[in-house]
Amino acid sequence: MATPTEALEAVMPTTRELVLDLHRRMVRIRRFEERAGKLVESGDMPGFLHLYVGQEAVAAGVCSALTDADQITSTHRGHGHAIAKGADFRPMFAELYGKTTGYCKGRGGSMHIVDMNRGMLGANAIVGGGIPIAVGAAFASQYRGDGTVAVSFFGDGATNIGAFHESVNMAAVLNLPVIFVIENNGYAEFTPQDRHMKLTDIADRASSYGIPGVIVDGMDALAVRDVALVAIERAKRGEGPTLIEAKTYRYFDHQGIKGMRILYRDPAEVEAWKTRDAINLIEAIGVERGLVSAEEFAEIWAQTEADIEDGIEFARNSPDPDPVDILDDVYTS
Amino acid sequence: MAIEILLPKLGLTMEEGTIEEWLVADGAVITIGMPLLRLATDKIDVDVEAEADGILARAVTDGATLKTGSVLGWLLENGESAPNGAAPSAPASDSTEPDAVRITTMQSPDQNEVVPSGGRAFVSPNARRVALELQVDLTRISGTGPGGRIVSEDVVEAAALTVHDATGGRPGKVLSPLARRDARDAGIDPAGIATDDGVVRRSDVRGAAASTPQTNASAALATTPVNQSGGSLANSETTSIIPMKGMRGTIAARMLQSLTEMAQLTHGFEVSMDAVVQLRADMKDQYVALGVAVPSLNDFVVRAAALALRQHPILNATIIDKEIHLLGRIHMGLAVAVPGGLMVPVIQDADQLSLPELARATRDVAERCRSGSISLDELEGATFAVTSLGTYGVDFFTPVINPGNVGILGVGRLRDSGKWEGETFVRTQVLTLSLTFDHRAVDGAPAAEYLQTISQLLARPLVLVS
Amino acid sequence: MTTRELTYVKAFNEGMHQVMAEDPDVFLIGEDVAGYGGVFHMFDGLLTEFGGTRVVDTPISEQAIIGLGVGAAARGLRPVCDLMFMDFVGVAMDQIFNQAAKMKYMFGGNVSVPLTITTAGGAGMSAAAQHSQSLEAWLAHIPGLKVAMPASPYDAKGLIVGAIRDDNPTIVVLNKKMLGVKGPVPEELYSIPFGVANVVREGSNATIVAIGRMVVEAEKAAANLEAAGISVEIIDPRSVQPLDIDTILTSVKKTHRVLVVHEAVEFGGIGAEISSQIQESAFDYLDAPVTRLAAPFAPVPFAPILENAYVPDAPRIEAVVRRLLERK
Repeated sequence: MATPTEALEAVMPTTRELVLDLHRRMVRIRRFEERAGKLVESGDMPGFLHLYVGQEAVAAGVCSALTDADQITSTHRGHGHAIAKGADFRPMFAELYGKTTGYCKGRGGSMHIVDMNRGMLGANAIVGGGIPIAVGAAFASQYRGDGTVAVSFFGDGATNIGAFHESVNMAAVLNLPVIFVIENNGYAEFTPQDRHMKLTDIADRASSYGIPGVIVDGMDALAVRDVALVAIERAKRGEGPTLIEAKTYRYFDHQGIKGMRILYRDPAEVEAWKTRDAINLIEAIGVERGLVSAEEFAEIWAQTEADIEDGIEFARNSPDPDPVDILDDVYTS
Repeated sequence: MAIEILLPKLGLTMEEGTIEEWLVADGAVITIGMPLLRLATDKIDVDVEAEADGILARAVTDGATLKTGSVLGWLLENGESAPNGAAPSAPASDSTEPDAVRITTMQSPDQNEVVPSGGRAFVSPNARRVALELQVDLTRISGTGPGGRIVSEDVVEAAALTVHDATGGRPGKVLSPLARRDARDAGIDPAGIATDDGVVRRSDVRGAAASTPQTNASAALATTPVNQSGGSLANSETTSIIPMKGMRGTIAARMLQSLTEMAQLTHGFEVSMDAVVQLRADMKDQYVALGVAVPSLNDFVVRAAALALRQHPILNATIIDKEIHLLGRIHMGLAVAVPGGLMVPVIQDADQLSLPELARATRDVAERCRSGSISLDELEGATFAVTSLGTYGVDFFTPVINPGNVGILGVGRLRDSGKWEGETFVRTQVLTLSLTFDHRAVDGAPAAEYLQTISQLLARPLVLVS
Repeated sequence: MTTRELTYVKAFNEGMHQVMAEDPDVFLIGEDVAGYGGVFHMFDGLLTEFGGTRVVDTPISEQAIIGLGVGAAARGLRPVCDLMFMDFVGVAMDQIFNQAAKMKYMFGGNVSVPLTITTAGGAGMSAAAQHSQSLEAWLAHIPGLKVAMPASPYDAKGLIVGAIRDDNPTIVVLNKKMLGVKGPVPEELYSIPFGVANVVREGSNATIVAIGRMVVEAEKAAANLEAAGISVEIIDPRSVQPLDIDTILTSVKKTHRVLVVHEAVEFGGIGAEISSQIQESAFDYLDAPVTRLAAPFAPVPFAPILENAYVPDAPRIEAVVRRLLERK
């Protein structure tokens, strides 16, 4: 895989702060997902969840390169993007519990987390549905000339939908500051990539639209961050969109932790990907390079645990929505 | 001195009449012109009105059938006794009849429409609401809306009448119960009828009805056989009862007689009216310029039917004791819908009349039927008849032959159709003729030939206006 | 106010010019809207006046056009996205009904989408089944969307301005057959809010609720009926979502008879909704069943004779009104 990591290292060195930052983002995602998954499986929490565990490096790497003014659009598997973009556990858990204190006041749930203050333009439960919206956000950046960019996260399956092709082409034609991030976890729901497209590298699709296509190790947050920075700089220079394919893996099922127990992938394949776990990798880098101690990483895990308990406690104690308000916010009046 | 109330002879052939009902109570104070009783003959029913002031002393009761000239009662002076010695009961005060009761008994709604077989009256929601507001009893109202539904206008009109009932009529307006009923049937506000003496009589209502645009619902009744259902309708919730007497009784008896005594069947026959429509349009201005009534399409058909009878005398016949008597003169009966029923005035020697004469005669008798001024003589002696339901949107129907005739021609609705002229499909206007004939006298083929002759006459209508 | 005669499309165009001049956040994007000025010349002159940043041609990508509008609107701009023919709504439907319509609610009120979609609907030009449809009932069915169908030059201008100023996703459906229809239009900028019906004509015997171009047909029918002594009230809801049912009910309570006319197919059309609401709220004021006159349940046909048979017109409206008022 072509990664510009080494070239970038000179100008953007791997610092202690960066390692801690990426680690914190990824640990927060992982523990949130594991706890939320258990809460749904235990029946404590309503609905169903598409969990992000395994893919943390993609959200963390990209979002660490963004500011709150930059916009992202996300997917049905969107908790990771929200957390990586800085979302708080309290309103996240509250939303998953369907409480008025949630990010969407209990109207959206797991698949529609939004945080406009942090540039989280919303998770989207229609596969590919967020891609054109990110193009629109980028259009607004260009229209206002405010130097912001937009990022759209989506999976390998979404690149087969019309909205993807229309959006990438239009963004290319209009030279918009948008980065398309394919999180290629190898499966469109339960269908493996070789059954849903002829390509091995989805980044090849970029050539159809006359834009750069970059492949990156989606288990390496530092590498992801580096390619994201390059694409962001390119976008800000007015050179248009970039298509990034991050090769990654989903540890849990399409839905839930254990899902429907459909045997569509080899358990050995899952175990093999886990040996390249993104959090293990950043901890190893931090310790090996003497940037962060194991104790400091442990402290992050512990703090995350405490934050999660606080979030769950907050959510459980929050008021339920009142059905008399069911028509609120259908329209802006 | 007591003035006799006699059973009037209303037509040359009238021999007897039946007292359908007295309209005022025994001992009531009567003023001249007030309707006293309803008299039924075998053709029509009429009101007998007071020819003088006085106090009523009845001599006969409802339902009596008597010879013409019989004494029905007297109009007495105050304190005078009836000639037969029976002293009338004390005069009642001003209001001789509880109107509400009278209305209930005399109400004769068009039952087929208001109370369908299911027993449910169709009333529009708005009519129900307005009826509640205006305190109107819906069971006393005939519906005039689509499908016979009672609509709010019916309720408002009924309410206006009810107000008059409650106050005994507006100042200067005295209304007989029957006139009130007729006004309701005809959809006329009796308060708007001007009379010389302030008394609104049935004849006044008829006159007003005749001068009002015709919105008559009664035509449907004309050929509707009386329901003789033998099954139990105990759970059908009768909401009102219409006595089958008077004109209704006459129609019932004659229609039943017709259908039980004859072998009736009906041909449907479509005729092109293009030539007639064109000719009528061409001539319309000339007729108007000459001040002559413009013949209607129906007049053309009647004219053609009359002329065609000359060529097909078998249809202008009567059956007497196993003999078919072909009749030399063609007297055309014309079915006319009137409030509460149907009349068939006769145009003598209809084949001898020019089209404008026929048109004028047709209008004249129809108007006099509706105004109630037709004489019994004019309702007698038809040798054939024409009935039209075209204006009601009917295409084909099965007219019922008037007893004594062997045929009747039904005229349907003028409607658009299409036909091939060579390679071109063109618009054409047609109507359907429905000829009912008595198979005892007339076979299918001759009946059809009569229709063909009419069709040919209508196709070349110049001969009809000559 | 200075008022003069303008065509429907010129009035719309004037509204676009004025509202873009008023608000720099308004931009226009769509297929052939800039260089060509829109296939119906709805957007003539906008590129010249406002430049390529605010008047933007796109590839033929309806989903991306609307999606771009959604994203830009979520960030506070006021996009006008053109879909040319209403039939193309289907191509972009996910962005319209799953994204634009739902964002406000789904995101707990945190996002507003002041997006305007313009498009042209209606039959009568032999444009056949994929360029003639009236799909307003589809759109009106989705909570979050607003749908207007201007029926006069005055409304064409006022409603596009009202749509753009509205903070919700709005769809303005112009009628292709009305583009050249002239009418009085004030020169000044004015706005007609959605959800306010227009009592086009006052009457007492029957109410016609007419949608879009059917207002024009209803007016012709009403003129004929007036000559026959029948007084007809015409209500143009202007927007089918939100629907100004109060104005309709007021009229129904006055006339007691209603006909709802639209170009869209009768089954499941907006007339079904209007009829249902009338009977729910004014049942006791009806003297006749609420009646609909609309297209038969078939795609729009091409041949002029078939298309004429398909779309309701003044003679048929007149006939139905007479039937509603029939008394024996």
